[in-house]
Amino acid sequence: MATNAHTEAPGGAHKGPFPPFNAETFASQLVWLAIIFVALYLLAARVALPRVASILESRRDRIAGDLAEAQRLKTESDEALATYEKSLADARSRAQTLANQMREQQNAQAEAARKALEQSLNAKLAEAEKFITVTKAAAMGSVRGIAADTAGAIVARMIGSPPRAAAVEAAVDDVLKG
Amino acid sequence: MARGFRLSTELVGGVLLGAALGWLLDRWLGSSPWGLIVLVLLGFAGGVLNVMRTAGVMSSGGPKGPN
Amino acid sequence: MGDPIHQFEIKKFFTLGHLGPYEIAFTNSALFMLIAFAIVALLMLVPTRQRALVPGRLQSIAELSYEFIASTIRSSAGNEGMRFFPLVFSLFMFILVVNLLGLLPYAFTVTSHIIVTVALALLVFFTVVIYGFYKHGLRFLRLFVPSGIPIYILPLVTAIEVMSFLSRPISHSVRLFANMLAGHITLKVFAGFVTMLGGAGILGWFGAVLPLGLTVALTALELLVAVLQAYVFAILTCIYLNDALHPGH
Repeated sequence: MATNAHTEAPGGAHKGPFPPFNAETFASQLVWLAIIFVALYLLAARVALPRVASILESRRDRIAGDLAEAQRLKTESDEALATYEKSLADARSRAQTLANQMREQQNAQAEAARKALEQSLNAKLAEAEKFITVTKAAAMGSVRGIAADTAGAIVARMIGSPPRAAAVEAAVDDVLKG
Repeated sequence: MARGFRLSTELVGGVLLGAALGWLLDRWLGSSPWGLIVLVLLGFAGGVLNVMRTAGVMSSGGPKGPN
Repeated sequence: MGDPIHQFEIKKFFTLGHLGPYEIAFTNSALFMLIAFAIVALLMLVPTRQRALVPGRLQSIAELSYEFIASTIRSSAGNEGMRFFPLVFSLFMFILVVNLLGLLPYAFTVTSHIIVTVALALLVFFTVVIYGFYKHGLRFLRLFVPSGIPIYILPLVTAIEVMSFLSRPISHSVRLFANMLAGHITLKVFAGFVTMLGGAGILGWFGAVLPLGLTVALTALELLVAVLQAYVFAILTCIYLNDALHPGH
């Protein structure tokens, strides 16, 4: 700068001007600064920065690619999982229906068997009851006869002459009813 | 310290420029000392403007990083 | 130990020739610029040679510096600012490495010379001006005419805006220069205390502990300042470039 030229002039007090303001060295410094800075600029602009940029670029691409690949794989595995779960659910529901069918069938069979058994039992029971009724009636008939005979015989023994059959029978009927 | 230093150079730079331009103007136009006075004042105002702008940028507008 | 100014001395190694009345020499300044160039070149080229998908430590540094500067540009100058990426990157890396190199003992700090910082600031300044006029023609001048200002104070505001714009390269360069210069002088002075007191016998040994601690702390601070100033230079470059890209505000 223009102002620096003044500081330099009266510097002879001890050993030359304050070095940063010593104009004698300006030309050399400027020339070297120009050479080196231009070299640095060219190095940065032509080689270094494009190279770093391409490294960063390729890393970004790579990461993006990897992410996309991971996403694809994840979708794939998700799909596989879904299919697996679906088939599992299918199998389970099929087993369920099968079991249900089986159970119903068995129930129906058991019911049928039970009904048949019941029917036959009922029939046997009815037959037995009828037999009992018949037997009982027959037995009752016989009891009446026997009772009348016995009563006639007892009365004959007690009074010495046989009673009238009709009276005896009426008396027996009375007792049987009572 | 560094921050104050940084801002004061803005002010000093403005005043220095005003003084230099004013001195040159006076020499060409023979208007001494008015060119110097006016331009130092203008330089001072410009310096203040720079201080405000730089301070604004340093505290808010600039990116994160050492300050 | 002596003079804290001594470290800023330019030492001529050999003379290369003359450019008009000026002597062009290979100096310690040029040497450290070359070293800085070599370091940046090695850092950016060697670890990235294999273009590894998974970066090694050095490759991450190269990538981090790339992304750090790219995000700085994008956030302060927008996506169009990326056309200046190589410029901002070169500026940042050059200043950063040169600043850090200057912290080494016996090293020379290139940015402690105002001519270097002025040259870099003017490079940015003229890039802004030339690109601004190339891209927007005379509409670039609207940068100095803020909208929504009453007409009677518009000349004053425009004058102030012009001064503000013109003073940028001064503050841009003086800031970096002054930070590096002041930091290194302070460091040297405190380190000088340490050796001075250390040489003054047993009592001095105890006395030297405090400046020694301060020197260590200052070195850490200077490390921070070296990085910070490179960053500040880069971000201000972005902000100025933003004016060239979008002069309308």
